[in-house]
Amino acid sequence: MTTAKATGVAAAALAAAVLVFGSGCSAATAPERPAPSSSSAAPTPSAAPRPAVPDIPIQGTTPGAQQPTVPPVRISVPDVGIDIPIDPVGVLDDGTMELPANTQVAGWYEFGPDPASATGATILAAHVDSLVYGLGPFSRLRELAAGAPLSVTTADGAVHDYTIASVAKVPKAEIPLDTVFDRSGPPTLVLITCGGQFNRDTGHYLDNILVTATPVAG
Amino acid sequence: MRTRMIAGTVAGCLAVLGLAAAPANAISPTTADLYVLHAVPATPVDVYVNGALTLDDFQPGALAGPLDLPAGTYSVAITASTATDASAPVIGPVDLVLAAGTSYTAVAHLTEAGAPTATLFTNDLAKTAPGQGRLTVRHVAAAPSVDVLAGGAPVVTALTNPNEAKLDLAAGTVSAAVAATGTTTPVIGPADVSIQDGVNTIVYAWGSLADSNLALAVQTIGGLQTAPHGVPAGEAGLAADPDAEPLVWGAGVLLLLMAAALGVTTVRRVRRDSSAR
Repeated sequence: MTTAKATGVAAAALAAAVLVFGSGCSAATAPERPAPSSSSAAPTPSAAPRPAVPDIPIQGTTPGAQQPTVPPVRISVPDVGIDIPIDPVGVLDDGTMELPANTQVAGWYEFGPDPASATGATILAAHVDSLVYGLGPFSRLRELAAGAPLSVTTADGAVHDYTIASVAKVPKAEIPLDTVFDRSGPPTLVLITCGGQFNRDTGHYLDNILVTATPVAG
Repeated sequence: MRTRMIAGTVAGCLAVLGLAAAPANAISPTTADLYVLHAVPATPVDVYVNGALTLDDFQPGALAGPLDLPAGTYSVAITASTATDASAPVIGPVDLVLAAGTSYTAVAHLTEAGAPTATLFTNDLAKTAPGQGRLTVRHVAAAPSVDVLAGGAPVVTALTNPNEAKLDLAAGTVSAAVAATGTTTPVIGPADVSIQDGVNTIVYAWGSLADSNLALAVQTIGGLQTAPHGVPAGEAGLAADPDAEPLVWGAGVLLLLMAAALGVTTVRRVRRDSSAR
């Protein structure tokens, strides 16, 4: 009886989580830009009052170098004894994020922001386990609680301090990756690994563990 | 208890992430983005939009914008930079019809024969695949048909003024050059062009072959990226939560035991009943 009841509560909580999750997702992805002040009337070629033209920014067009990135090279999460190096990674042919094979190395999504970026999420992910390397340090991410400190060292030697804001287990089918891999919002750090139940037929976990952290001011 | 905590943290997580998502481009369901590129060599100009001076002393090779404009038709006239009004344009006036939710670049340039003209291009803002960027090449030079070479090999062939070609490429640096169609000897470049994830890099071949001032101009429009389709970060099941199956099995055993217990009780009752008689 108690087992069945506990399962029911868990299911309800999960449904609530998905609901909260869903609404949060749509709120995040549908910010309407306020209508411009001059949107009162659609202009017609013959009409005398044409829409006003605002000031225009001007830029050069000389072929130039890409804005340099500052790759993160090491992450330390003292509360759970994580202190591992970071390699830059991209995507695999199937469009999923590339990850270092070694569970003792985290991957930084090199197409996205870095810890020195003014906006967006720096994405660090590592295999939770491996048939070759065994259980990895990111398996301990789920033991973390909000408020825990972590730091990331970048290639220029700078140390970026963060405070963990949330730890969540999200079904892979539900995770809003375009929101997680953000480029334009406030600077954050997101740690990703796998968790939840394991499907032995596909060799995949059903959930991602997502840890978000915000920069320590100063 | 633990599940409730996770529900809370999911909400918290999204509260943090939800602050994100300013649109990379200013276009909206009611407005268009307009850029203006000056690609007529050696001639500073003034640009009038709907009769009002909008760009003063606009220099060759400069890119203005984006303007976030309500959808509609705009009259554009380009004059010598010494003009005091739009009455004697060197290009136009032309009517630009701008649709909502669309990005445009209006280019003042030379025709293949070398006469000043203007062309309105539509910028492709379709999302790019994870890890890819877009290369758009536009021929706005006083020059015949060209091929575009990437790393020495033609990727665009027989491109003529005032047309464009585009392709999506893996992010990285491309050594780009422009050659007369059917040849591989560059008339422009080679120059390193950066292809960035989620960015449409628009390269203009402009100037005049006869005047030996052919050049490349580069415009970039970002925010087209797609996140990776997933983060498969485990393969051994060593960190797995307990499977659902043993739980089901356990519940089944419990039911069987309960049924058995009930059965025993019933039998006993029956026996007691029968013995009472």
